[in-house]
Amino acid sequence: MTYESLVYGFVFLPLCLAAYQIVPQRWRRRVLLVFSYLFFWLISRNLIVYLLGTTVFVHCIGIWLEWLKSEQKTELASADRSEKKKIKGIYQQKSRRVLAFGVLALLGILAYLKYYNFFVSNVTGILGNVLPFTLEQKKILMPIGISFYTLQAIGYMADVYWGKIRAEGKLEKTALFLAFFPQIMEGPICRYSDTSDTLYEGRPLNMDNLTSGYIRIFWGLFKKKVIADRLAIAVGMIFSNYTSYSGVVIAAGAIAYTIQLYMEFSGCMDIIIGSGELFGIRLPENFRQPFCAQSAAEFWRRWHISLGTWFKTYIFYPVSMSSPVKKWNQYGRKHLGKYITMLGTSAIALFPVWICNGLWHGARWSYIFYGMYYFTLILLGIAVEPVRDRILNTFHISDQSVWLKFVRIAKTWVIIFAGELFFRADGLRAGISMFRSIFTDFDLNALTDGSLFNLGLGRADMIAIAVGCVVVAVVGSVKERGTDVRKSLFRRPVFVRWALCYALMLAVIVVSAYGDGYQTIDMIYAGF
Amino acid sequence: MEKLMNILMEIDDSIDYENEKALIDGRLLDSFGVITLVSELEDAYDIEIEASEMIPDNFNSAEAIYKMVLRLQEN
Repeated sequence: MTYESLVYGFVFLPLCLAAYQIVPQRWRRRVLLVFSYLFFWLISRNLIVYLLGTTVFVHCIGIWLEWLKSEQKTELASADRSEKKKIKGIYQQKSRRVLAFGVLALLGILAYLKYYNFFVSNVTGILGNVLPFTLEQKKILMPIGISFYTLQAIGYMADVYWGKIRAEGKLEKTALFLAFFPQIMEGPICRYSDTSDTLYEGRPLNMDNLTSGYIRIFWGLFKKKVIADRLAIAVGMIFSNYTSYSGVVIAAGAIAYTIQLYMEFSGCMDIIIGSGELFGIRLPENFRQPFCAQSAAEFWRRWHISLGTWFKTYIFYPVSMSSPVKKWNQYGRKHLGKYITMLGTSAIALFPVWICNGLWHGARWSYIFYGMYYFTLILLGIAVEPVRDRILNTFHISDQSVWLKFVRIAKTWVIIFAGELFFRADGLRAGISMFRSIFTDFDLNALTDGSLFNLGLGRADMIAIAVGCVVVAVVGSVKERGTDVRKSLFRRPVFVRWALCYALMLAVIVVSAYGDGYQTIDMIYAGF
Repeated sequence: MEKLMNILMEIDDSIDYENEKALIDGRLLDSFGVITLVSELEDAYDIEIEASEMIPDNFNSAEAIYKMVLRLQEN
């Protein structure tokens, strides 16, 4: 069962909504927990033990950290000024050890499940003849969503350690935070402080939330089923047989995959966030018109926002503010100047962020390359900033001019398309070969000789994709101007409101890519 | 407060720090700006700012930054 399946929309969700509404308010979070575990069991069966184990473990670590805090408070209350610093130091060290234990245990499980075989194949490939023992690959089953709930669990423990939140005392609440069914497969990666209030409140269903939630779900289905699943056919053909296509088709394939990935992932997010809204639960947004970004760094503030925020909060800032980096900052500002110091600090803090970003997506060199690609580009962006400002000043070009904005957006698109080519390619070698062919085999005839119509898509499919993309782009540009599209829709006359809602539902039912000639396309991010 | 204003002006003198209440939420200060600010604050006020302090509420206005500095000095 996946979020776009009929079983989810017509059986699972209605049953959960009914059970949630029937029981008293204090039982509602338990209903959500039961349905969340049922959902997880249906997709992962026995692998649910990983989720259960993680939940109990994280809950205990949270309570342990909280207990240390209360012990520290008690001791501080009876200590004089000179002892206070010492007590604080002792308890900080104890808490740090507990947090490190919790984080390392969870990362250890994730690393084993996700990267063991990658590690073995690389070690065997490089040191196979030298090693006195043999490392065998193992058949490892990984529970869906582990990359998402592990990050969420680490964030929870770190927030308790930092004192940003109090540890949750009730196991069922920690369990629901980690397992809430709409977000367990693809995120968004929530912070406890973002969702806990509405998640545990058990507020009754109401018409506004139901209408708003279902519109969002249908909007997500439209993006996924009408656009992404169609593009997946052509993208699959190009990337599987890339040696048969000229550079121009490869470039079109990279663009098509980027659009597919956006429509698929953001569409699933719409279904997920819409599912939460049905219950009055607010999940954080994961996309904010990423194709309006004017730089690679800005793109990542608009694309998979919850992952970027997680890396910023739990890797970027702790690294930037660690003692060695602070020492580098002090030394650099005294001896090397602000520019070099800032560049050095950026490199040190960004490197772990982007290596983790690459590895988080999976155990493949192409993902590591993808992470390093953005690391290099973002660092380069910081490095050339003074030069760019000087050029703009010299030629009296306003930083806010419209044409400059378009040039920057176009540049960012090229960066995104090239990055996604490597991301989707079947291995790093294939990615390099495909990228090279764009420059060495760029034959524009492929655009007119009908090659693009031999990619498994008919004329009707092309029209559906084009119209779908225009609709999504128009809605995106309205949102970019700060308008809440659904609120704006609700203010329209009843006739217009319902006509648009029915048009959306009809589009999903009639134009979706299902039936003969189409395959069920798995959710891409659920695989991470 | 004057010392803080001078530090902020050195980081970006185009911002109206006296009235601005959304330095982070309004994206006027980015992550790198905040890191530079943290280093300057630590030097100027002899305090230690930990990663746990990196929340928008602590950096959204000059007043909020000043409050955080005073709190850390007390500790």
